[in-house]
Amino acid sequence: MSATLGSPTDAPARLTGAVGGAAGSTTVATPTLRALLGRSSFWLIAAACILATAIVAVVVSGGSQAVGRALAGDNAAPAGSMALVEVLRQQGVTVTLASSLAEVRGSVGTNSTVLLYDENSYLDQSQLRELGDLGARTVVAAPDFLALQALAPAVGFGGVSASDTLAADCFVPAANRAGELSPGGDTLSIPPGGGHPLLTGCFASGTNTFSLVQVQNDRTGGIISLVPDARLFSNEHITDYGNAAFALGLLGPSDSLVWYLPTLADLPRTGPPSLADLTPGWVTPVLVLLILAAAAAAFWRGARFGPLVAENLPVTVKASETMEGRARLYARSNARLRALDALRVGAVQRLALAVGLGRLAHLEEVVGSVAHFTGRTPDDVRRVLVGAIPKSDAQLMAFSDALQALEHATGQAVRAGAAPAARASASDSQELPPPPAERMDS
Amino acid sequence: MTLSGRFVLLLALGVVPIVLFGPDPAAATGVLVLWLLLVFVLGGLDLALAASPRAVTVERILPARVRLGESVTSELYLTNTGRRRLVGVVRDAWQPSAGAGRNRSRVVVPSGERRLVSLTLTPFRRGERRVEQVTVRSRGPLGLWNRQATLNAPGRIRVLPPFHARKHLPARITRLKELDGRTSVMVRGQGTEFDSLREYVRGDDVRSIDWRATARRNDVMVRTWRPERDRRVVILLDTGRTSAARVDNEPRLDTAFEASLLLAALTSVAGDRVDFLAFDRRVRGRVQGASGAALLSQLVDSMALIDPELIEMDWAAVPGQVRSITSQHALVVVLTSVDAAGASTGLLSVLPQLTKRHTVIVASVLDPATVLAAATRGGRDEIYRAAAAERALLDVARVSAAIRRLGADVVTASPAQLPPALADRYIALKAAGRL
Repeated sequence: MSATLGSPTDAPARLTGAVGGAAGSTTVATPTLRALLGRSSFWLIAAACILATAIVAVVVSGGSQAVGRALAGDNAAPAGSMALVEVLRQQGVTVTLASSLAEVRGSVGTNSTVLLYDENSYLDQSQLRELGDLGARTVVAAPDFLALQALAPAVGFGGVSASDTLAADCFVPAANRAGELSPGGDTLSIPPGGGHPLLTGCFASGTNTFSLVQVQNDRTGGIISLVPDARLFSNEHITDYGNAAFALGLLGPSDSLVWYLPTLADLPRTGPPSLADLTPGWVTPVLVLLILAAAAAAFWRGARFGPLVAENLPVTVKASETMEGRARLYARSNARLRALDALRVGAVQRLALAVGLGRLAHLEEVVGSVAHFTGRTPDDVRRVLVGAIPKSDAQLMAFSDALQALEHATGQAVRAGAAPAARASASDSQELPPPPAERMDS
Repeated sequence: MTLSGRFVLLLALGVVPIVLFGPDPAAATGVLVLWLLLVFVLGGLDLALAASPRAVTVERILPARVRLGESVTSELYLTNTGRRRLVGVVRDAWQPSAGAGRNRSRVVVPSGERRLVSLTLTPFRRGERRVEQVTVRSRGPLGLWNRQATLNAPGRIRVLPPFHARKHLPARITRLKELDGRTSVMVRGQGTEFDSLREYVRGDDVRSIDWRATARRNDVMVRTWRPERDRRVVILLDTGRTSAARVDNEPRLDTAFEASLLLAALTSVAGDRVDFLAFDRRVRGRVQGASGAALLSQLVDSMALIDPELIEMDWAAVPGQVRSITSQHALVVVLTSVDAAGASTGLLSVLPQLTKRHTVIVASVLDPATVLAAATRGGRDEIYRAAAAERALLDVARVSAAIRRLGADVVTASPAQLPPALADRYIALKAAGRL
């Protein structure tokens, strides 16, 4: 490149000089942004329409497809409990959705009610015991064995209730207001005999089996209600029988309710700290920044400096292609005799010229003349020039070498002046310088 | 709009504040967002402050023609009609074969002023080399983002055949001069023309003594002769498909150009009239009635645009084309390829019509690779190659013999040797008075 810049001083001189005339208006090939937008407006609008349709479709169908967690307070599916939570909120109860014991600890008050539904048994016994001590009222939906052990060791499982109706039949106000629960759920059993003053059973469905067992916490004095049938609180069944009144009565006495569904966060952590714990907080933003920088670098290096320039390229055909092709054909078909014949015809023509015979000399004349010059027998020369038939590649090579040797010997003999007197004129004519740079012409 | 490396670097430098001020994920994300905002605002500001490349007007000054292998300077004048000072890079988008090299030039054009960008072109292909567009990339004051626009600024330059063979010209002209004023010592054919009488000096051939003049002048006078003049030479170029083949990394057509240029230069010195015709199925180039310096320049001009056509030569139309150029006796030089007998049937079939009226030379390039292959006998493959080469040479010899039987002359030589060989043949014919 030899780009030079005219210095500012000589620029005006050039202006009035060689170029002359006013600078014509140069047309611009690159479209302006507006033109570009106008040209691609169809695609932009189409893309926007597709995007909007997709968003609307997601919003319309969203939520209804997912089953969600059972008894989750924000789950509107049949298994969820959103209906109950919303009704409680309308009644002025502050419902806090908690997913770990720490959150429960943070949001529970002295007069709070806590609902526990530990479907996957995440909590261990000490956590259950702690939870039982936290609130003034604790409702455990579908308690498992560990929960019973921790909160009411005297209570056992009673199996599925056999009776068709579940009447309250006890002194718990919530149960009395409900009157009747939907039948067919699990039950709990209380040991017979009134030896357990702290235990109350409601909705009896057989001997000592109940659908609600209340037990008083002997440490804090709080009431722990065990409801073996968790379906009572679900959106699907909350309106059956007296389920709604029962649930509202059980969960709504105080101003605040903590709706606690344990998650993996409640499992005690074991083993070494994970990679996520060890990485500093800035790693993810830095990664994002570096990805952006890499994209910018791609734009930087990839932006074309104007459109590509097209050029018609010439056809490149090597003239010797046909010769090479023919040679490969010979080689593939092992056409030894044909190949050797070609070599021989060429050699005979060169020999004829070398010994001073014309291009059109007869073969026998050439044989005789060459034999005369080289001192070989005519039969020998004839065998080399026409007679022998190659049987193998080795023979072909040998015959080719013999041909070359014969040409070489003849050339030497002619140059050495071993010509007989009869050929003197012919050999003289050989010494004349040939016309410069010409071939194949007489 | 394009980015610069500086912008990428600035973007990547955001790592420093993120690490320094962002110990926890939320703070780090905040710093990231702030940094991105800062960088993009700076970029947008830069873009808004850059001079508009659309406000540049372009003018071009180009030499009309250049010989292949030589260099010319392409001048591009950029006038900034915008209000801001333009700092940036200009790409003059020449075709690659124009040999512009790295055609990016830095420019600084203040508002309302004009600057020159000159580029050295060394074309490496014959023909018309074009440039259509100029791309201007204008840098912002911070050098972060650039504005870029492509301007239409068409230009073309005609690249003429190189005429390397002109190095053979002085020697041929000398030989031609030697023919001039020569006595009949060597040659005395019907074509030589009587020139003048002069006094006998020792060494003159006694056979050239003009006894009548001697009797008149009381001194021994000899006749001198000069070669015939004002003969017609028709150079006919075959631009058909066979002319595309490369021999010695040069298309046959280019060798034919060299040969015809040398022949034309020689012929115009010798006082003969040259007509040039490039033909395959239609006329691709024709130069008629030019002489002297105009002849060569017209020749190279018309040759520059001729490319081999991938179609078969229409030999049947050739006699008619020659007849349209001249009806007198002429030397017709046919530059074509003499190959296998089958491929030369067309040529052989029309030669009698040409030779009946004209002296004909058929000139063809001979592949030195073939000659070399015929003499190389190493292993098995090389022997087969030698056989194939020998067969190709025999084919050429047979076609050449057939052409000679039809009364024409044949010149075959390697690409480097064909032009002088053809010139020598012309001189020989002239000396023999056969034109």
